[in-house]
Amino acid sequence: MARFRLNRRDVLRGAGSIAIGLPWLEAMEPVGTAHAAAPTVAQRFLAVYQPGGNVMDQWHPTGSETGFTLSPILAPLEAVRSKLLVLSGLDMKSAVGEQHQAGICALLTGMPQGTAGEFVTGPSVDQVIATIASQGKPRSSIEIAIRWATGKSHGLLHPINSMTFANDANASPVPPRLDPADIFNSLFGGLQPGDDGEATANVQRKLSILDFLDRRYASVAQRLGASDRLKLEEHLTRIREMEESLRTLGTPGGACAPPEFVETPDYDPTSGRNSADDGSIQDTSSDAAIPVVGKLMMDMLVSAMACDLTGVASLQWSDTEAKHTFPWLNLSEHHHYYQHDGNFRPVECQQIATWYSEQHAYLLQQMDAIDMGGHSLLDESVVFFGSEISHPPEHTKTDMPFLLAGGGGGLRGGRWLQYESQSHNDLLIAILNLFGDTRTTFGDPSYVNGPLSGLT
Amino acid sequence: MQPTRVQQRAKFLRSLQLVPAVSLFASLSALGCSGGGVGGNTGGTPTGTGVGGAASGATGAGATGAGGGTGSGGGATGGVPTECTTTTNPGRAPVRRLTRFEYNNTVETLLGDTTQPGNSLPSEVLGNGYGNDADKQPVSSFLAEQYGIVAEDVAGRSAATLLATAAPCYSTATVDTEEACARSFIETFGARAYRRPLQPAEVDELLALERVLRAENTFEVSLTSVVETMLQAPDFLYRLEFGTPDAANPSLLRPTGYEMATRLAYMLWGSMPDETLVTAAASGELSTAEGVRSHATRMVENVDRMRPVVRYFFDHFLPLNTLTDLARDAVQFPTFSATIGGLMREETQLFLEYVIFQGPGDWPSALTAPYTVVNDQLANFYGIAGVTPGGQWEVAPVDTTKRLGLLTQGAIQAGTTISNFTNPVRRGVFLLRNIMCVDLPDPPEAIAGSITPPDPASRATGRERYSQHSEDVTCRNCHGVMDPPGFALENYDAVGLWRDQENGVTIDASGELPYLPAPFSGPIELVTQLAASELTQNCFAENWLNYAYGKTLGREDTCTQATVETAFAQSGYNVKALLLALTQTDAFLYLPPQEQL
Repeated sequence: MARFRLNRRDVLRGAGSIAIGLPWLEAMEPVGTAHAAAPTVAQRFLAVYQPGGNVMDQWHPTGSETGFTLSPILAPLEAVRSKLLVLSGLDMKSAVGEQHQAGICALLTGMPQGTAGEFVTGPSVDQVIATIASQGKPRSSIEIAIRWATGKSHGLLHPINSMTFANDANASPVPPRLDPADIFNSLFGGLQPGDDGEATANVQRKLSILDFLDRRYASVAQRLGASDRLKLEEHLTRIREMEESLRTLGTPGGACAPPEFVETPDYDPTSGRNSADDGSIQDTSSDAAIPVVGKLMMDMLVSAMACDLTGVASLQWSDTEAKHTFPWLNLSEHHHYYQHDGNFRPVECQQIATWYSEQHAYLLQQMDAIDMGGHSLLDESVVFFGSEISHPPEHTKTDMPFLLAGGGGGLRGGRWLQYESQSHNDLLIAILNLFGDTRTTFGDPSYVNGPLSGLT
Repeated sequence: MQPTRVQQRAKFLRSLQLVPAVSLFASLSALGCSGGGVGGNTGGTPTGTGVGGAASGATGAGATGAGGGTGSGGGATGGVPTECTTTTNPGRAPVRRLTRFEYNNTVETLLGDTTQPGNSLPSEVLGNGYGNDADKQPVSSFLAEQYGIVAEDVAGRSAATLLATAAPCYSTATVDTEEACARSFIETFGARAYRRPLQPAEVDELLALERVLRAENTFEVSLTSVVETMLQAPDFLYRLEFGTPDAANPSLLRPTGYEMATRLAYMLWGSMPDETLVTAAASGELSTAEGVRSHATRMVENVDRMRPVVRYFFDHFLPLNTLTDLARDAVQFPTFSATIGGLMREETQLFLEYVIFQGPGDWPSALTAPYTVVNDQLANFYGIAGVTPGGQWEVAPVDTTKRLGLLTQGAIQAGTTISNFTNPVRRGVFLLRNIMCVDLPDPPEAIAGSITPPDPASRATGRERYSQHSEDVTCRNCHGVMDPPGFALENYDAVGLWRDQENGVTIDASGELPYLPAPFSGPIELVTQLAASELTQNCFAENWLNYAYGKTLGREDTCTQATVETAFAQSGYNVKALLLALTQTDAFLYLPPQEQL
């Protein structure tokens, strides 16, 4: 098949790859302060997950709504303070079920896990937003995870590591992408200058194949019993999405630029498959690569947004097991060990949480540096940052460490909002509302009071 | 009190109703119990027997020995209920998608591709513990996209060799002969990829695709693209079963010959059918239970082809995946290294293969074998003398006062241990949940939150460190059951080496378990009783049932389960007989009527 390839060997490998014909624009330029023209409805949603809660007494800001001082853990976010909302006092009331599992399952769904070992029965908010924000874009959403499925899920999708759930009757967990090189090829493989016509031919070839598969899945599904038919029809839906993706050849120009790819040979993206329940197996090589891989993953997400490849994305820093070490912080035990497996170690947990704040600050700054035409990418986005628990040793799910950032839908940053035990379902509704979805309930209605006020 | 065998059987048949254990916690306060090993769900073992029923025995007086819990001969005490023998009960057979393990094996058999390309596919859902639960196989965009990427790679890599062998006409084809050449290629390769002969209309459709592609590409590209397409077709990725009416009773559906060949091939060899099975499918040999059994026997006897499935099964049934890179403190455990962990995994896998395929063959023997399989490096670690230098593996006797069978091997002891300190709760839970299929509830949220493991330095021995469990009534209800088997294994340290003392204090490894007939003085007596327990045997069968049928057994599988357990018992718990029995059930030999919308 080599003959289909463009000059760069790895270009356009996936059926879902997109091709953008126009040349790259200049590298990203800082936008400065011109934010006037941000659309009134939020355009993009990004959810970022940090495992293992936080050191809550070192997390809350002090002061007033606008005159606040960021806590030591959040201090790295000072640089994007004007576009940041710190949310205190929200409870994840719907997180009913197992210790960590219920937390991550409810985080974006507002649904109780209920039975041990089960997932949730409703979609996550990002997948619902995708029906609005990703319309006409090649991909409905992009899920990425770093050092994921460590510990007892052994690399498999499990309630302990699943954050996003499909917006359909099954609400199946959506597996994240793990391999940086694969992600790069898949997202940006088609974004190459100097198309010599072969790319177009390969797109045509793939469309022919997908067209065949479309008809085949449809006809086979018709011959199956009820539940089997649903299964094949789900596959058919994905094939149709890929066809759609190939026909929508992306939107060229504007702020679209590919990230710089970095080789990460030390990083084993599927290392979780060899993990031990208790984290006793260490992959220090992959662990040491986390900062580099993390930056690349964030860069790719930002570029994917700027290139209009999707309107919705999520990033999981590990999963709730978080059974990896932090060599660059000189922490040789895994995160879960510091949370409670080795008794609660607030010093180490704070070190880890502060590092995550630094990463998040980088992400937000990158988004804010991209000019979408008079306003930045961050200005038209809503970025949620959260964890599955608050206080690690007790798996507390009250007073959650949640952040919002961006200016999408009129979100007003530079503020610290203090709530009094309001259900985080209300936050999920309010986020949906920022995208022009006017619903007044989301997730399990028994945990809903109505859209959270004060965001805009 | 301990339930009798018959009562256990009755409970077993009631199956899913057996979770009264939660009520144990109904009155619990928010007090935390120290250091559970039970948090979180690792999937895997569905219901068998609830701890709830046993816990009363554990806390009541004279829990052990009394009652009808004695006698080991009653393996099939309950036998197969009459209603199971008078009706055909296929149970559910949801359509199964190839797992990554099966995908890799299949492209290797089909195309000689040994690169394990399926590893690029996203994770399976753990589901039944084996990652092959047909009810838990969602299709994400990522999955569908990766199927395309992987198929293009696989087809591209194998094109030259494949076309040379499966389409020899390709190299000399002219404009006039190309279409006929393509047709013959689609027919021959298609029959292998789809694991059945193609219908003429199916050939026409694939040929039409090939012709469209050929208009814009070379002949090589159009043929290779057909391969790429088939590798994404439902007929390849899914094990589609439509069945055919049973000759003897047309109201029942049987898998067709080809569908049966596929069932056998994936269940026993983890890959597509071989030539012999395909021939048997075509000739109708697989339309009777006897025919199926005869081929299953041939397959089970082929150790080399059985090995991948057997290893895959035990890697998931036992804590073996965790061993290859196990980290332990080098000062505390100077002779241990990650290499030793990997060797332990190999020890257990080779040992099980030896027991099943060369040795006595039965599961109780695996649990009580007075030998293991080691090489010199591992023998040095254990302190087993007389092993030939050079790294080769051999069967070696063990000191039967300290070790006996699978459960006393380093792999099990190290694999169930948290870091540098043994955790008796975790080991106890492993024996109960994984080996005996006793249904243990997770600690309820109110308590779970405050659980912290005891400080390893707090007391001298594991039993003392976890003494809160026996002192605190809140914890005792369940831990009174879970901890004793773990205490009995305290003679094995965190790397699975024998110790008589911990911190200068002699280890008390005695205990009792309401599921076992008598108290035990230590690990040897414990595993001996475990090996004689019907729960242990049924649990092993249940795990194989879940794996083999790619689902989590449900209430409708009661008859199938009883049939397999009975056959297993009647064979003296022979493992190969168990595998054959899995091919002789209504679930395997028949299909349920098609589910209506």
